[in-house]
Amino acid sequence: MALFHLQIVTPDRMVFDGQAESVLLRTVNGDVCILARHIDYAAPLGIGVARVTDENGKTRAAACSGGLLSVANGEVRVIATTFEWEDEIDLERAIRAQQAAEKRLQEMQEDDAQYEIAEAKLKRALIRQQVKG
Amino acid sequence: MAGSSMKDIKLRIKSVESTMQITKAMQLVATSKLRRAKERMESSKPYAAISREAVQAAVARCEDGNAPFLAVRPLKRRLYIIIAGERGLAGGYNNNVFKAVAAHVDGTEYCVLPLGRKAVDKYHRMGIELLSDRYMRVEGVSVGESYRIAQMVIAGYQEEKYDEVWLAGTSFRSMMSQEVVLEQLLPLVRPEETGEKRSPSTLYEMDAAETLQRIVPDFLAGRIYGALCDAFISEVSARRMAMDSASKNAEAMISELTLRYNRARQGAITQEITEIVAGAEQ
Repeated sequence: MALFHLQIVTPDRMVFDGQAESVLLRTVNGDVCILARHIDYAAPLGIGVARVTDENGKTRAAACSGGLLSVANGEVRVIATTFEWEDEIDLERAIRAQQAAEKRLQEMQEDDAQYEIAEAKLKRALIRQQVKG
Repeated sequence: MAGSSMKDIKLRIKSVESTMQITKAMQLVATSKLRRAKERMESSKPYAAISREAVQAAVARCEDGNAPFLAVRPLKRRLYIIIAGERGLAGGYNNNVFKAVAAHVDGTEYCVLPLGRKAVDKYHRMGIELLSDRYMRVEGVSVGESYRIAQMVIAGYQEEKYDEVWLAGTSFRSMMSQEVVLEQLLPLVRPEETGEKRSPSTLYEMDAAETLQRIVPDFLAGRIYGALCDAFISEVSARRMAMDSASKNAEAMISELTLRYNRARQGAITQEITEIVAGAEQ
């Protein structure tokens, strides 16, 4: 399959920099899969599972949240807030985070300023478990 | 007389030696922290460059001058995010940042979000309104913490507590030189029209204004994280330099004092011999 240059960065590191076959991401409007020769494109990212197929045809899953997906002149860039490969995820920590977030959400009103943040935390914890499981 | 001055010199040598022990130890600590700080700084670089480009592309595309984060409000008040060190003894590191901010303020009303103990202390003493005084640490701040900082900054901006957000910190050039940087974060600055790099055919999932609204908080957090990494390595290398020259100074002082001590000792011996010889001749 045709390949393209993919870069995945988070504030603290370059997660991936190399040739890839495809990358599947959850944008704010749903899942999007980018293949080689995609039109120039930009979309904010949601919280979801990402799948990257590298030049050897091997697919890896990751938990990805926030940021932007951008395609410009055939260069694909995922500028994410968090991006963790499945083997980097700490399952116990994700479960603890889920429980903590659920507890907080129960104590809060829906119009609480912190509600959205707690909700995002819960979602991230669930996605991490989904990637791992 | 010779005896007491010898004692004085000896005491001084002792005290300089113990000071040198401290400066040497601090130099070693700084050197050992340097490597990790450098790794962190370097791995934060790609994000800084790539995200800046992406935001600028979205800004260039956004025609709506009143879009959030782009609209320029009449300037009533500024927020300065000021990154300084946790400790002193780093040459002019802390003061250089404070001086640059003071020069930039130029009579405008402002409030401060200090990051690093020295900055918190300084602006607290000056009686300036602080957004928060909780951020004492600079070393090893996580991405998550940078997010909370960015969220706080954006909340205040949206409530119109301040109309401009500036970031003041220190950027690492080399082990020998660090440079103070002052950068406007909000509202977003439109890049100079270059006319070449724009690709009008880009398909935006959302319109540019909405895209900006979504991504700016994320990128601000990334920017703050990068600035913290950059500032920390600057602090450590500034301290290493300062402690290095302090240790060298101490060494020079010790050798000079030792010379004086030996002269005094020899003088005393000569005097004693002269006295004994004079006594024997009588």
